Amino acid sequence: MVNEDSIKSTHNPKGPEAANNGYKVEGLFSPKFRSVAAMAGWDEEALLMASLVVEDTPDRLPKQKKRSDLLHFKTPPTNSRRKRRAQKRSPASITATVLDLDEDDTPKSEKKEAESTSTEKLDKKGTEASEEQGCSVSPSNKKIESKSIEKADKKEAEASEEPECPVSSSSSAFPSIDRLREELSCAICLEICFEPSTTPCGHSFCKKCLRSAADKCGKKCPKCRQLISNGRSCTVNTVLWNTIQLLFPKEVETRKAAAALNSREAKQQSPARAAATHSNITSSRTTRILQLNSPESGPNSQEGRNSRAMRRQSARTSGMPSRNRDISSRRELPSQDEDAALAIRLQREEFMESFRTRSSADEQYRSSLALARANLRAMASRAINIRVRGGRGS
Amino acid sequence: MYGGAPSGGIGISGGGSGGGRTWPSTTSVSSSGKRIQKEMTELSMEAPPDCAAGPKGDNLYHWVATLFGPPGTPYEGGIFFLDITFPSDYPFKPPKVVFKTRIYHCNVDPAGNVSLDILTENWSPALTISKVLLALRSMFTNPETYKPVVPGIAHLYLGDKAKHDEIATQWTLRFAR
Repeated sequence: MVNEDSIKSTHNPKGPEAANNGYKVEGLFSPKFRSVAAMAGWDEEALLMASLVVEDTPDRLPKQKKRSDLLHFKTPPTNSRRKRRAQKRSPASITATVLDLDEDDTPKSEKKEAESTSTEKLDKKGTEASEEQGCSVSPSNKKIESKSIEKADKKEAEASEEPECPVSSSSSAFPSIDRLREELSCAICLEICFEPSTTPCGHSFCKKCLRSAADKCGKKCPKCRQLISNGRSCTVNTVLWNTIQLLFPKEVETRKAAAALNSREAKQQSPARAAATHSNITSSRTTRILQLNSPESGPNSQEGRNSRAMRRQSARTSGMPSRNRDISSRRELPSQDEDAALAIRLQREEFMESFRTRSSADEQYRSSLALARANLRAMASRAINIRVRGGRGS
Repeated sequence: MYGGAPSGGIGISGGGSGGGRTWPSTTSVSSSGKRIQKEMTELSMEAPPDCAAGPKGDNLYHWVATLFGPPGTPYEGGIFFLDITFPSDYPFKPPKVVFKTRIYHCNVDPAGNVSLDILTENWSPALTISKVLLALRSMFTNPETYKPVVPGIAHLYLGDKAKHDEIATQWTLRFAR
């Protein structure tokens, strides 16, 4: 604001008029400008300086925008060197702008320092700055000087206020943790929001809770009953989520652990649902392996493929009869992919088995049995291969 | 073990068609149980005025609630017992509230079933039992006469409130003491 005033005051004698008349071909200055300059008592040198300024500044600016642009080019402190130089070259008219630029710079540094240092220092700085300005400014610019001092004072006041604010807010106004817990808890599960998702109407719930609410209770906000356009594709409010994670790390951890456990359980207990929830194959595979490892899932606890896999395991240890059962059970299988997988595994097992038997010492003893087994397996695998091939062919 | 991986991938696709046993959905049960437990502790901390509620026995999903007839109404001085049954997917489905004490009210049918919009179509998972109890309390003072379960009582309420109040007071004295 100060800048604008000072600029206007310094530029008014020539600026707007030059802008109004434009620059004719015959010269840099319009006759009107010349007459005004003469009235102001400018000598040739001053005119030359002015011409430099005029040459430098308004050339590339559209005439209509000139005023605003003039204001503009003062505000950013990162003005081009060229402009600054040009302004320095015309001390009579532009000292104020030079001052402005300086002033613009100094309060910035002041502010930075004020944040880190005490107000005392700032006080000193402020007065220094105003003194500096007083020295550099031509004595006629009293107005600006006073204004700059005012500005410095204002800055001081601001700075003196600044350090107080955070102190007060951190000491007294910080809400209690219970209040925060209440505020950050999900209205559906009544716990701290886990991966909060915010509705278009501004209410936040756990992503899961919101999703199931949208699924089971219609696409309305549970809090205000406003329509939620797409409750299914809800996203996590990252700012809120990060805040919650920072504020309640313990709760978040326990819930994360519980969620992991739950999902694992869900997958273990109902593979169909696991498939329905679009879990990635790798994770489901790992759960599969877990299932295979877990002792509680006996041959009768799993259905379909899984039980067969279990039987396979037991077959490996118990041998013939169960293997036969396996083969017979395989006949019931509807899917060809399953057949193929079984065939591959059978072959692999066969290979391993034969390797094992060959390496074993009592080969002689078991040779007949092994032979019979191998024959049976070979037949089975051949039959499967034929079936697979036939299936693929048809 | 090595052969487990391919079978796992196939098992996912094959398992859906099998569907031999139905597995209890422990996850949803536990989440609803958690929520009910939370509500219980909250209710014990600060119950709404003239209301009380808690599990009937060991079962978290069956509660008993008591409502005291608010003063200034014909139900004043009465103590009304309610049964609250939570569904297994509780916060997403409304609890079932039944008056065990007979009450002369146009929104409570002779069997004790309450017709309250927030307990049916306007249920929201963000509602809690304490809010339901508050709604029931406000139902005592302001019966919903536009969609009554017992139209006769509603008509009497609208036409001859004094008579209605008299009967209601009688019923309260008879059944709710």
